[in-house]
Amino acid sequence: MIEPHFTDTIPLGLPAASPTTKATHPNSLGVTFTGSGSEYFRIWIVNLLLTLVTLGLYYPWAKVRRLRYFYGNTLLDGAALDFHGNPKKMLKGSLLVALLFGLYSLAGRFSPIAGLVALVVVAVIAPALVRASMQFRLANTSWRGLRFRFTGDTSEVYRAVLPLYVPAVLIVGFMAFAAPVAGQAPDTTLFIASMLGLVALAVAVQPWTFWKLKQYQHNHYAFASLQTRFTATPWSFYKLGLKVCGFALLAIALPVAGVAALAFTTKASGALRGLGPLTVILPFLLMLLALVAVKPYAMSRTQNLVWNHTRNDNLHFHSDLRFKPLFWLTLKNWLLVLITLGLYWPFAAVAMARMRLQAVSVSTRVAFDTLVGQRSNGSNEAAGDAAGDMLGFDLGL
Amino acid sequence: MSTPPLSATYYDGLQARAQPVLLHVADGALHITGEGIARRVALPNVHWPERTRHGVRVTHLAEGGELHCTDSAAWDAWSQNIGLGEPLVVRLQQSWRGVLASAGALVALLLALHAWGLPLAAQAALQLLPLSVDASLGDATLQAVDEHLMQPSQLPRAEQARVQAAFSQAVAQAAARLPPGSVPDWQLVFRASRIGPNALALPGGTLIMTDELVYLVERDTDVLTAVLAHELGHVQHRDGVRMLVQVTLLGTVGSLVLGDFSSLLAGTSALLGQAHYSREAEHAADVAAVQLLQAAHIDPAAMVTLFDKLTALRAAKDADAAPAPDSWLGIAFASHPSDTERVRFFKQASITGKGL
Repeated sequence: MIEPHFTDTIPLGLPAASPTTKATHPNSLGVTFTGSGSEYFRIWIVNLLLTLVTLGLYYPWAKVRRLRYFYGNTLLDGAALDFHGNPKKMLKGSLLVALLFGLYSLAGRFSPIAGLVALVVVAVIAPALVRASMQFRLANTSWRGLRFRFTGDTSEVYRAVLPLYVPAVLIVGFMAFAAPVAGQAPDTTLFIASMLGLVALAVAVQPWTFWKLKQYQHNHYAFASLQTRFTATPWSFYKLGLKVCGFALLAIALPVAGVAALAFTTKASGALRGLGPLTVILPFLLMLLALVAVKPYAMSRTQNLVWNHTRNDNLHFHSDLRFKPLFWLTLKNWLLVLITLGLYWPFAAVAMARMRLQAVSVSTRVAFDTLVGQRSNGSNEAAGDAAGDMLGFDLGL
Repeated sequence: MSTPPLSATYYDGLQARAQPVLLHVADGALHITGEGIARRVALPNVHWPERTRHGVRVTHLAEGGELHCTDSAAWDAWSQNIGLGEPLVVRLQQSWRGVLASAGALVALLLALHAWGLPLAAQAALQLLPLSVDASLGDATLQAVDEHLMQPSQLPRAEQARVQAAFSQAVAQAAARLPPGSVPDWQLVFRASRIGPNALALPGGTLIMTDELVYLVERDTDVLTAVLAHELGHVQHRDGVRMLVQVTLLGTVGSLVLGDFSSLLAGTSALLGQAHYSREAEHAADVAAVQLLQAAHIDPAAMVTLFDKLTALRAAKDADAAPAPDSWLGIAFASHPSDTERVRFFKQASITGKGL
C-alpha cells in the first residue's frame, strides 16, 4: 500500500454534455470538484473514531460516506456522480479480504513454505479480485441516473498479469532447481549470470506490464452505449518509465552532490563533526524527497499519458496535470500533515482530488440526453472493492 | 400542514435526460411531478441523502432513478418541513461541537489504546499462545543468529562452566526466595560475534552471551550474572513473543489511522510506539534483574560496572567522536532507556538493597 488512496476517492470520469447541446460539433466539457477540506475533515474524524471503536466493523459505512462525499462533489457538466454501494454487502467482502490477508501475513511467521503457499494463493486470486473490484466500483457509480459498467473479463486480466508472473515463476523455479550444489563450483558463474539475466528481464518487462494493466482498465469503461478504448502504445510507457527514472536520479543526485560539496568544503575547516547527524537522517530525507518530488512527477505524467489516450469515435479525454503545481501541493500537504500529526490529511486529500480532477476535460460529439441505459448485471462482489483497497491498486484516474 | 414543493432534477434511471420536477410528500409517499412525469414512490423506497454543506444532494429511488438537488439550503428547509430525521453520525459530522468531541474522543482512544489497550491485548494473546510457540520461535532465531551473526565461542570450556555455575547458583538462590513462577527455565550458550560485547535473550529461554562481553568485564561473574539476570527478565516476561504481537497490532492501528495518507508515516508512528514498549520492557527486565540479584545477595551495582566498561570501550573506539547527548529525538526512537537513567536505577537499587 505504498500508493496513498487519492485514486480511491476519485471517481472514474466519463463524459458529459449539457442538455441543450445538440451534438453536431465537438463540445469541450470540464470537471468541477466542489468538495471542501474542512467538511471532509468532519466526515473523516467521525469515520475514524467509529472505525476504531467498532474494531473496524464500521469501515464499509465509513467508506460509503467518504465515496458519496467525493462523488457528490464531482460534477461533470453540472451533474454529480453518485455511489450506490451497500455497506452491509461491503462488510462481508471486507471481512473476507481481512481474513485472507490475516492468514497471508501469519503464514510466513510459521514457516517459509507456508509463506510461499500463501503468496502463490494471493497471486492466483489477486487478478480476479482486481477485476471484481473494477466491476463493483463502476456498477455502483452513476451519472445522470445511469450506472457505469466495467466490461473486462476474467481471462483477459490473467493474460494482462502474465508478463509480471512469468519472470517471477522463472526466477523461483531457477533458484529451486538450478542452484549450484556444493562441489560443483564451475557452475556458479553461469548460475549468477543467468540469475542476473532473469532479474533484468523481470525489470525490463515492468512498463509493459503496467501498460497491459492500464489497457485492461481503460479498454473496458462503459456508460450507456459508449465504451472507451485505450490507444497508448507500450513504447510510450517505456518512455514514461525512462523519464521517471531519469527524473528520480536527478532529484536524488542533486541533493547528494550538495551534501558532498558541503562536506568537502567544511572538512578543511574541521567542522565535519557537525555533519555527523546529517549522514544518519540522509536516507530518511532521500525517501521523503522521492515521495515529495518523484511521486508527483510520475503521477502527473502517468495521468496525462493514460487519459489523453482514452477515447472512442465520439469522445476524447484530455488531462493536463502540470508537474510544478502538483509538486508544490504535495510538498505543502506533506509539511502540514507532519506538523499537524496527521490532522491535515483530509484537507490534503480534498486539495489533491481537486487538482487531479480539474485537470481533466472531455471533448465530445455525443448528445447525452439521448443516451439510454444498458441492462447491466449489477455486480454485488463487494469483496473485490475491499481487496482493491487492501492491495492499493490504482483503480481510478 | 402543507409544505411548498421543492424543485429538483429527476433522472429516471433509463435515460440520461435531466428533467426538472417538483417534489412533495403526502399520504406516506413522495410525489414527483413534471412535464409528462407523475411518479409516486412509497417513502420506505426513498433513500434520502445525508446533509453536507457542499456537493449535490442525491436521492436514490429503490425502483430505479435519482433526484438531484443543487440548492442545499432549499433542500434542508424542505426536508426539515416534511420531518426527515437524520442519523447521529450525520449530526456529529455536521456540527463543530460534535467534531471536536469526536476528535477529543479519538485522541483519548488512541492514547488509551497505547497505554492499556495494546499491552492488555498482547497479554491476552500471550495467555492463548502456549510456551511451545516461544520455544520454536527461539530455536528458529538461534539458527538464524548462528548462520548470519555469530560463530562458535572461543572461550575455554572451564571459563564457560564457571560463568554457568555462578549464574545457576544465583538463580537457585533467587528461586528459593522469590514467589514461584518468577524464575523461568533457561539455558546459557556462548558465541563469538562481530556485534561486540552483548547478551541476548531468545524466546523460550536461550540466553546468548558473547565472548567479547566476558572479556570486557574481565570475567567478573557478578557482573555477568547481573547481565544474565536482566536477560532472564525478558524470558520471564516473554518479551520476544510480546513484541511480535505488539508490532502486529500497532501496525494495524497505524495503517487504519494514517495508511490512507502514507504507509511510511504510518510505519514511523508504529516504530515510535514500539520503541516506547521496548523501553518499558527493558525497564521491567531491569526490575526483575534487581530482584534476582538481591535475592542472591549480589550487589545490583555490578550492573553499573558494565555500563562504565561499555562507555570506556566506546570512548576508546572513536576517541575523537563527540559524546552522544541524550537528545529527545534519540530517546523517542531508542529501544532502550538511556544509560544514565539505567545507571541511576541500579545505583538506587544498590543503596536501598544495602539498607535492608
